[in-house]
Amino acid sequence: MADLSAQVQEPFDLVRLSLSERVFVKLKGERSLTGVLHAYDGHMNMIMSDVEETILMVEPEESGSTVQTMKRAMEMLFVRGDSVILVSPGAR
Amino acid sequence: MLIFSVFKTLTDQIVTVELKNDLCITGTLKSVDQFLNIRLDKISVVDPEKHPHMMAVKNCFIRGSVVRYVQIPATAVDTQLLEDATRREHASTHKR
Amino acid sequence: MSSEPPQDSSTGAVGTPADFLKGVIGKRVVVRLISGVDYQGLLSCLDGYMNIALEQTEEYVDGAVVNRYGDAFIRGNNVLYISAMESI
Repeated sequence: MADLSAQVQEPFDLVRLSLSERVFVKLKGERSLTGVLHAYDGHMNMIMSDVEETILMVEPEESGSTVQTMKRAMEMLFVRGDSVILVSPGAR
Repeated sequence: MLIFSVFKTLTDQIVTVELKNDLCITGTLKSVDQFLNIRLDKISVVDPEKHPHMMAVKNCFIRGSVVRYVQIPATAVDTQLLEDATRREHASTHKR
Repeated sequence: MSSEPPQDSSTGAVGTPADFLKGVIGKRVVVRLISGVDYQGLLSCLDGYMNIALEQTEEYVDGAVVNRYGDAFIRGNNVLYISAMESI
């Protein structure tokens, strides 16, 4: 991926280059996923495997608010595209 | 269309549908349409204490737009096939 | 007489939205989402839905960097605006 700009002529090219790679996905509702991308379509519906979901839960308290994270593992997952905000190849 | 085809191959598999209101329903996938509306049979709610009103429901129709996730049995999909099909669809819908 | 609208390529102050979107490719931009989150990075490309590919992306929440991504695809429906950080 030396010269990315040469390979990426439109945004979906970036996602196509991530097929069978681990990706990071930011979703609505303070959720994020990492998993291996196997399929997607123009709506950004996706099918991923070996998925770890992280949910950020912000709980307001008297002394400011605390953020708790909840993690969940799923072996094969369909994600509906309308929840997707951002997809990044090479999940950290 | 690609994802619709994938779901068609998953009919009669047991899946867990998570809705955008956090309700999780497990059941047998009976049918799906182009909007990814889903019909489930023999359903059970994953957290029944939280959703007591679902107790009596045996089957349901889920509007596609309210779905967040569908958990699929990993053994039911060929990932290599999915990736090839996705590349083909990408090539046909996006002009080079 | 020319029917072309006046152009000022040094500031990008004049021109159609399409001209802006064409000119801003390859430039450093800020993409603001409806949620208020900002993404600063190099704009690789975009499409008619405002789906965006960014390189060297920094994610800003309340003015502070909270994440960095080498590349990022942003789904267009979340985009409020794209702002150029250099002249186009």
